[in-house]
Amino acid sequence: MLDTGAVRRAVEDVPDPELPPVTIGMLGMVHDLEVSDEGIVDVELLPTFSGCPATEMIERDVVTAVSEVPGVTGVRVRFRFDPPWTPDRIDATGRERLREFGIAPPGGPIHGAVTPAGRRALPLAFGASSAEEAPRTCPYCASTDTVRDSAFGPTPCRDVRYCNACQQPFEAFKPL
Amino acid sequence: MTAAAASPPAASAAAALLPPLDDPRSQVLLALADDALVSGHRASHWTGVAPSLEEDLAFSTIAQDGINHADLWYQVLLGPDVDDLRAGVDALGLGRAPEQYRHAILCERPPGDFAYTLARHWVLTRFEAVRFEVLTRSSDAEVAAIAVKLGHELRYHREHADHWFHKLSGGGEDAHERFRAALAAVLPASLGLYEPVAGEDRAVADGLLPVGHPDLRALIEAETAPLLQAAGYDELVPEPSATVPEADAGGRLGRHTDDFTVDVWPEMTQLYRAHPDARW
Repeated sequence: MLDTGAVRRAVEDVPDPELPPVTIGMLGMVHDLEVSDEGIVDVELLPTFSGCPATEMIERDVVTAVSEVPGVTGVRVRFRFDPPWTPDRIDATGRERLREFGIAPPGGPIHGAVTPAGRRALPLAFGASSAEEAPRTCPYCASTDTVRDSAFGPTPCRDVRYCNACQQPFEAFKPL
Repeated sequence: MTAAAASPPAASAAAALLPPLDDPRSQVLLALADDALVSGHRASHWTGVAPSLEEDLAFSTIAQDGINHADLWYQVLLGPDVDDLRAGVDALGLGRAPEQYRHAILCERPPGDFAYTLARHWVLTRFEAVRFEVLTRSSDAEVAAIAVKLGHELRYHREHADHWFHKLSGGGEDAHERFRAALAAVLPASLGLYEPVAGEDRAVADGLLPVGHPDLRALIEAETAPLLQAAGYDELVPEPSATVPEADAGGRLGRHTDDFTVDVWPEMTQLYRAHPDARW
């Protein structure tokens, strides 16, 4: 008898290829999952960004992981855009793992980081901070004295910020 | 037929993978996809050579987004029952003859200097934002859902484009005047974005494209005209009676200039034409 819970765990535990400490379950990418009587698993995923080059790797990794669950005879993965994925789907564990990875998650303060005392802030030469969003909390020192340095970063889903308190650049998950 | 004789060798291999493209729905989806694909390829010109690291990241990401947005529209065009999705997407993106592309000619123009690049980027981004917003009301649920998603992603392009618009127009005299010259070149050509594809009236009547390309113009200019005026570029606001110059007309019907047929198109399709079965 196929264990549906085991199938769900296999899907949710697939790591994001670009952020290995974070799983697609933590990111809230798993929309729906159906298991047929014949052992065929249909997985519906929400891509974080339409242009994310990791989606094809995630699809392959989901097929591999689910195929290893005893009783599974086939896996189909489909990406859908309704509902659109938004960063508020990232769960508490995912947010903390992102922070540990040096990427500020969107929304609200993050706990666990230590604030250094009395560091001098350097003026930033350029800055294109969005007026639409409150400053992101620094993943290293938890200061909110941060600015968006670049609206574009190393991947489509991340931008680049700078912390005036600890003088570190850091990456942030883009709000959508 | 002369068009067939001029087609590349890979066209015959790709032709077997191409769905029918002459219906209004396909033509509209090709316009969405090809605008993104070709402007994305032109944005990638700046990768490695942009004037600052931030701009290098910006235009590299904008290029990646554009090419991926095109990929998604090609997937919609192919539908859920296609045998080999990736082969079909490659055939649509890279296996068509130049006259089968439906982007506006503005998208295929070379990047020029950085002022021209930013002026075109501002115009294209403003255009795309409104077109996505209109498409969120499409009668095709899949098209509407994708338009919501891509509209979210475009916010970053728009912030970046608007940032530079204000920085250059409100900067020193040199910046203000060079940006004026760039906008003066881009804005008349941008009227080519509002040309309809063949059979577009039917796509509008079906609700696939809730507002046709010609009617998008008033929506977009209602946003851009006040910005141009506030920036001191009053005389650049296109007259309502203005039409697209001949040199920039016809893209939506497959007429393209040497900037596409002997520059972008050969470069972007080179690998595909040499190895139509290549996978990555």
